[in-house]
Amino acid sequence: MECALDAQSLISISLRKIHSSRTQRGGIKLHKNLLVSYVLRNARQLYLSERYAELYRRQQQQQQQQPPHHQHQHLAYAAPGMPASAADFGPLQLGGGGDAEAREPVARHQLHQLHQLHQLHLQQQLHQHQHPAPRGCAAAAAGAPAGGAGALSELPGCLPGCAALQPPHGAPHRGQPLEPLQPGPAPLPPPAPAALCQRDPRASAACSAPSAPPGAAPQATTAASPPASPAPASSPGFYRGAYPAPSDFGVHCSSQTTVLDLDTHVVTTVENGYLHQDCCASAHCPCCGQGAPGPGLASAAGCKRKYYPGQEEEDNDDEDAGDLGAEPPGGVPFAPCKRARFEDFCPDSSPDASNISNLISIFGSGFSGLVSRQPDSSEQPPPLNGQLCAKQALASLGAWTRAIVAF
Amino acid sequence: MAGAGGGGCPAGGNDLQWCFSQVKGAVDEDVAEADVISTVEFSHSGDLLATGDKGGRVVIFQREQENKSRPHSRGEYNVYSTFQSHEPEFDYLKSLEIEEKINKIRWLPQQGAARFLLSTNDKTIKLWKISERDKRAEGYNLKDEDGRLRDPLRITALRVPILKPMDLMVEASPRRIFANAHTYHINSISVNSDHETYLSADDLRINLWHLEITDRSFNIVDIKPANMEELTEVITAAEFHPHQCNVLVYSSSKGTIRLCDMRSSALCDRHSKFFEEPEDPSSRSFFSEIISSVSDVKFSHSGRYMMTRDYLSVKVWDLNMESRPVETHQVHEYLRSKLCSLYENDCIFDKFECCWNGSDSAIMTGSYNNFFRMFDRTTWRDVTLEASRENSKPRASLKPRRVCAGGKRKKDEVSVDSLDFSKKILHTAWHPVENIIAVAATNNLYIFQDKAN
Repeated sequence: MECALDAQSLISISLRKIHSSRTQRGGIKLHKNLLVSYVLRNARQLYLSERYAELYRRQQQQQQQQPPHHQHQHLAYAAPGMPASAADFGPLQLGGGGDAEAREPVARHQLHQLHQLHQLHLQQQLHQHQHPAPRGCAAAAAGAPAGGAGALSELPGCLPGCAALQPPHGAPHRGQPLEPLQPGPAPLPPPAPAALCQRDPRASAACSAPSAPPGAAPQATTAASPPASPAPASSPGFYRGAYPAPSDFGVHCSSQTTVLDLDTHVVTTVENGYLHQDCCASAHCPCCGQGAPGPGLASAAGCKRKYYPGQEEEDNDDEDAGDLGAEPPGGVPFAPCKRARFEDFCPDSSPDASNISNLISIFGSGFSGLVSRQPDSSEQPPPLNGQLCAKQALASLGAWTRAIVAF
Repeated sequence: MAGAGGGGCPAGGNDLQWCFSQVKGAVDEDVAEADVISTVEFSHSGDLLATGDKGGRVVIFQREQENKSRPHSRGEYNVYSTFQSHEPEFDYLKSLEIEEKINKIRWLPQQGAARFLLSTNDKTIKLWKISERDKRAEGYNLKDEDGRLRDPLRITALRVPILKPMDLMVEASPRRIFANAHTYHINSISVNSDHETYLSADDLRINLWHLEITDRSFNIVDIKPANMEELTEVITAAEFHPHQCNVLVYSSSKGTIRLCDMRSSALCDRHSKFFEEPEDPSSRSFFSEIISSVSDVKFSHSGRYMMTRDYLSVKVWDLNMESRPVETHQVHEYLRSKLCSLYENDCIFDKFECCWNGSDSAIMTGSYNNFFRMFDRTTWRDVTLEASRENSKPRASLKPRRVCAGGKRKKDEVSVDSLDFSKKILHTAWHPVENIIAVAATNNLYIFQDKAN
């Protein structure tokens, strides 16, 4: 009876449960759906961490081909509190025809931000050992000052509700016009400043709502999942990212898939096609609509891309330095009390931390878009449907709760 | 302290030997959904045993008096009353069907000849009066024996009706209906020790009612966040303290228990005590949140302790110590490696109940494969027993069962992979005074007694 589900299957199963609960007798059971959303969040975190590790692996391979002085970059990245840079990055060119090189720095920037998040995650883990039950809000708060979307941190203890409690995500976007959520591939929005281009209009909407506390769950998570339009640019950027990952991820060959047995926590590496292949199998996968740079992922050999380590150093942004610098490397300024309400954890971060808040947008629409489309996609073969749902669900976590709670 | 997974010694102190007494319910393999028992509750004296099922029916059993001429009956429980408590409803405003399943039954303390109980489904609580009628009046003046009105012009004489004995008839009538107070699904009701009020708890709110007043209730706990997207936990169970009418506890899906004192403030959103055991980081898994959710909370009869049931264990808490439970008993730890499969088949969401014996020296809870577990708190012994038709010979002793978690399976052991997860014992009840237990196995109710009884 052992089952070695990977995160994607778990996500598919969970989404199926949520969907079927809507038609069950007696109405939606709040308790059960809340528990399922926890599993979804945990599986999503694993899924993201796996991809992160895979990218690191690819980066390692690339760097082995690079001149040695690039190794210096790893040290630079490894330093906690290293500010991410955005100033020298041009406006993000969204769209398939963009210049690969123009996107690279942005992608690297994004991955740099992810690294910041991971550094905080490590700090958080340290802190967690000191404080036995800092789940949820505390964990997410760790990511807050760096603007990392809590849902995207690998911290398994993040609660969905607390995943997005960072006010700075919403702060700079209150004035932004609301864009309708567009499930699936959609016309690309006009280019915006790099720092803000990946904003999720839903996050703007949520942040602008006066009644919603700044740290409301879906905001930061949806902030990290822009509509489908930017996804094509960002996901290849993410995949192509040359980003050093902490060594504790282990070694993941690009042609292998790491499978975690959720019951026994045995990690096995499976000879497999590229992780990205199943994504491309979906007709709706925005990544596949990409131009040439995209398929760099689809090839098992890993992509080749230019690497400008020098540029990274110069690109350190003072704004972010200020924000990240406030974060002491060794500690995290929050109360790791499990029962504290998440409002208590909203830190006073600079609005520029929102630059970092928008990390990875993997897929376009959130759960609400997914659910609305589900009747149409139900004719598809179940595995594909499950994958489709799973991929879209990875984009936004908070929207799940919205969809679950029908009252 | 973890109990062993199925020791061979009987629990309950004094080397109790549990024997089969009775089984109620159909023998058919195909179980109708409506017949699945959803709650079991002894009355305060133990002479009545009430069950509710998914079809909205309540069946009450009464213990027969010890009869010297039939010594073997030994106080059997026989059907006393059956009535339809709740019907399926439809909420037109929300387009939601409201299930008629009886979630909980709670008896009121007896005051007079009639018996009262509260039964609830997801939305509505009803107070039922169960009364006996064994006399009938005859000789009315205005109507004849059939009940038809007599022609007044024909009445020439006056008589006094006389009471004549009749076959015992047990009537159940709804005396109060407490409706429209809960937006979410009611999971608990609990009668207060003042015998005047009771609480009802749903996922996010707890309401206080007066038994005589149906048109209003007072909300004492509300954990609904301002923005539902911030929801992180729900209320899973609630109970009043058995002696202190101002104290109540409620458990949450996060594995925490809050004790509230109604004297401190009218709204008990702020707890007086907060019981939580720190999570063991090494046992963290994807399903940690699910298995830590508390499915039942029960005060001990003494009022000094309370017991909580989560998916894999029962914990006994001292009300004076909030940091950790004083006892932890593993119910079926061998399932920890199966959580993934149990999640797939939805078994991980099963809500097991637990109960104390009359003296608080033993606790009992259910498991899968029609197994149930008993833990003796004084001797630290535990036992796994099975409710099955095969062991249904009158006064047959129950043989302790063992589950083999892995490796070589010994004789008489059941391997984990052969457990039947569709046969789950969620509801159990222990007689308030004697060693008699009622175990609900899907659509069958098993009654076991200890041999000395």
